[in-house]
Amino acid sequence: MIRFALNKGLAALLMLWIVGTIVFAVLFIVPGDPAELLLTSDGAVASQDSIDSLRRQMGLDKPLATQYLDFLAGAARFDFGNSLIDHVPVGETIALRLPRTIELILAGLFLGLITGIPAGTWAGLRPGRPFDQIVSAANAVLISVPGFVTGTLFIYLFAQVLRWLPAGGYVSFASDPLLHLKLLALPAVTVGLHLFSIIFRMTRASVLEMRTHDWVRTAVAKGLRRKLVVRRHVVRNALGPIVTVVGLQMGILLGSTVLIEFIYNWPGLSGYLVTAVQQRDYPSVRAVILVVSALFILINFMVEMLYSVLDPRIRL
Amino acid sequence: MPDNSGLTFKPSRRTVLTGIGAGMTAMALPGRTWAADGKTLRYGLSTFPPGLAPWNNTGASSNNVKLCLYRGLMGYDPEANLVPEVAESYDWPDPTTVVFKLRDAAVFHNGEPVTAEDVVFTFESIIAEDSSAYLKSSFLNIYKVEAVDAKTVKFSLKLPSAVFLKELANYCAGLVWKGSDAENPVGCGPYTKTSEERGVFIEVTKFDDFYGEGEPICDKILFTAYADQNLRYAALETGDVDVIEYLPWPQFDAVEQSETLKIGATVSPFMLMLFNVVKDGPFKDPKVRQAVGFAIQRQDVIDAAFAGRGTPLTGLPNPPGSPYNVTDPSIEYSYDPERAKKLLAEAGYPDGFSCRLLSTSTYGMHQDTAAVVQAYLQMIGINATLDLPDWATRVKKGKEGDFDIAVHGLSGFYNDPNALWPLLHSGPANYTRSFGFESARIDELLEKGRATMDEAEREAIYKELAKAYFEEVPQVPINWRAQAHAMQKPVKGFKAFPGWLNSSSAFSFDVSEPA
Repeated sequence: MIRFALNKGLAALLMLWIVGTIVFAVLFIVPGDPAELLLTSDGAVASQDSIDSLRRQMGLDKPLATQYLDFLAGAARFDFGNSLIDHVPVGETIALRLPRTIELILAGLFLGLITGIPAGTWAGLRPGRPFDQIVSAANAVLISVPGFVTGTLFIYLFAQVLRWLPAGGYVSFASDPLLHLKLLALPAVTVGLHLFSIIFRMTRASVLEMRTHDWVRTAVAKGLRRKLVVRRHVVRNALGPIVTVVGLQMGILLGSTVLIEFIYNWPGLSGYLVTAVQQRDYPSVRAVILVVSALFILINFMVEMLYSVLDPRIRL
Repeated sequence: MPDNSGLTFKPSRRTVLTGIGAGMTAMALPGRTWAADGKTLRYGLSTFPPGLAPWNNTGASSNNVKLCLYRGLMGYDPEANLVPEVAESYDWPDPTTVVFKLRDAAVFHNGEPVTAEDVVFTFESIIAEDSSAYLKSSFLNIYKVEAVDAKTVKFSLKLPSAVFLKELANYCAGLVWKGSDAENPVGCGPYTKTSEERGVFIEVTKFDDFYGEGEPICDKILFTAYADQNLRYAALETGDVDVIEYLPWPQFDAVEQSETLKIGATVSPFMLMLFNVVKDGPFKDPKVRQAVGFAIQRQDVIDAAFAGRGTPLTGLPNPPGSPYNVTDPSIEYSYDPERAKKLLAEAGYPDGFSCRLLSTSTYGMHQDTAAVVQAYLQMIGINATLDLPDWATRVKKGKEGDFDIAVHGLSGFYNDPNALWPLLHSGPANYTRSFGFESARIDELLEKGRATMDEAEREAIYKELAKAYFEEVPQVPINWRAQAHAMQKPVKGFKAFPGWLNSSSAFSFDVSEPA
């Protein structure tokens, strides 16, 4: 177990170093100059002189090797440097924004799980019945409608027509808890719908397969209550693939909530990454990608750990 | 009821109804308590300001906030007239000397009075060697700035300048207290920054010792960034904000017909084509560039890319509201494909040619304009391949001359033809000018226009410039595009400034009142 964790840890470090190096290299291959971009926003004309001064202030005139070593040394100490744009330490911005993205994903995941697993189980136990048919059909539609479309429709319906919720934005929980939740509602439901469609399909298929096993027949035959059979023998065994999928989705969502964050003006991490890429804010881009990669690796690790909890036959 | 009812989590009716009831109650409660108290103007920005350094130009969003925090010697009144701002009055003893008298009441946010020394500090910092100030090159025309006494400051210019006062009124020329450290510049504007959540909002609060009498009217301005233009409009429609900038073109109709909203529109930036005239290709020949100018049906661009909101631009982009009239149909473009083909044939390309057309996918309007232009070029035999990288790459390609034709949008910051200087005067390669284009004739006219103070003489010079613009073809103009603020009907005082002054509209925050 300890050995397993150590091996995983070493591999993770190596992967992070590779990711960091690739990101560093790619950023210098991609054209675009942060100093020039900052000074020419909205089509303003900047003199070469001003641009050169700003490049010096940003430290972009140093040799590439120096910049790379500075970056590695900094990253090893969790110091990602300051943003080239507003000079705020990148670590601070990530500490501020990452929890918002995680909050959004967890809220969506919560909604997806509490609806997806029961609905999937029910549909899987009674395949072909009206409930299964209706939900499966609705799900086929859901899966093919991208989040930014549902998002735009939600804003139109709930904010512009019904006026139930604000159109989008963000307020911290501490300053106004109620408004915070109202602003979270639509993006969380949008993420939740996406997860629901995946979890529902996975659960249904898995339950459908599990209920045909002979141990289920045995359990029913020995007179166990159906509730117990389903919970202990069917659903529990069906959870394996669901955990894998949910774990993977969590990682993917870290990077792909960007559209949803953009549409609802939710100031999370992936929105920050997109802006940073557009502005060629090198330190911010590197740091966000490293942090997201580290989280992705961590989630995969946790999924593997969870397998052994769900299925005691798997020993790590 | 089948017997599987107990097999899964099955919420009882009571649980569901309670949940829905609680949810609806929560939704119905009044929200936004943080923005509703006192007189707060809520303004929807198009992007979160990337920086608030007083002298760098970091875009329209930043400039709005900067005009709350910083003010310069000159400024604009709420009706967009150029007026002394922190200065009380000014005087030109001779064409290269200006003397400003500062307001007695002007104080910085730290309580220090605004003195001539602070003005000297500000302008010496702007033109310093390591400065990245937007107006550095303009203010290099300052030979010397000196404090005559505590409240009097004298500028000696190298050359006379007809636009010096307008440059001083720019949002990148705010006065800064001489004791400020570089990270925390202290200004003397009507508001101070009191709260901020990076990437989300900036709140500014009235500075009680501001020199303007009875101004500003609002106690607070809350700037919230809405990067998505449709959400920005939705936020206005639902009443989350009072004013938004950059109203998307397709929503103009909705706002004009709305009973609760109003629009403040002007034509401001213009769309144009730039060329690479260095490469040994067809565009080296001004006749080919002119041919392009006669090949475009301009109204189609306006309809396709700007929902019909704009006007064709057929000659020198003399800004709307400029004091001079330089129009002359004989030196302007029209849609005339026959003439375009004739010009191509004269240049030696009767059968046309192929080239690369650069624009950007970051901005839909640039991309759409490029697509229409491409179609019209096809009709006179020019096969243009679209190159649509992201904005950062587009800037770099423009600067390095990695294109044949480019479609672009540009603007200035005051309504005088001299604002075209950075777009037409030769200098180091820049993505806002045709690559490698240089014309001694245009340079000379621009220099003469700036150094001439007499209005009639200036008009004659700019008429000459319009002619040179047509004959030498540094750019091919396409259209003016409309730009609008939209606001709640009851909002008072806020004015969308006309033409290229639009980016200075934040001066009218001083007299703005929310709904």
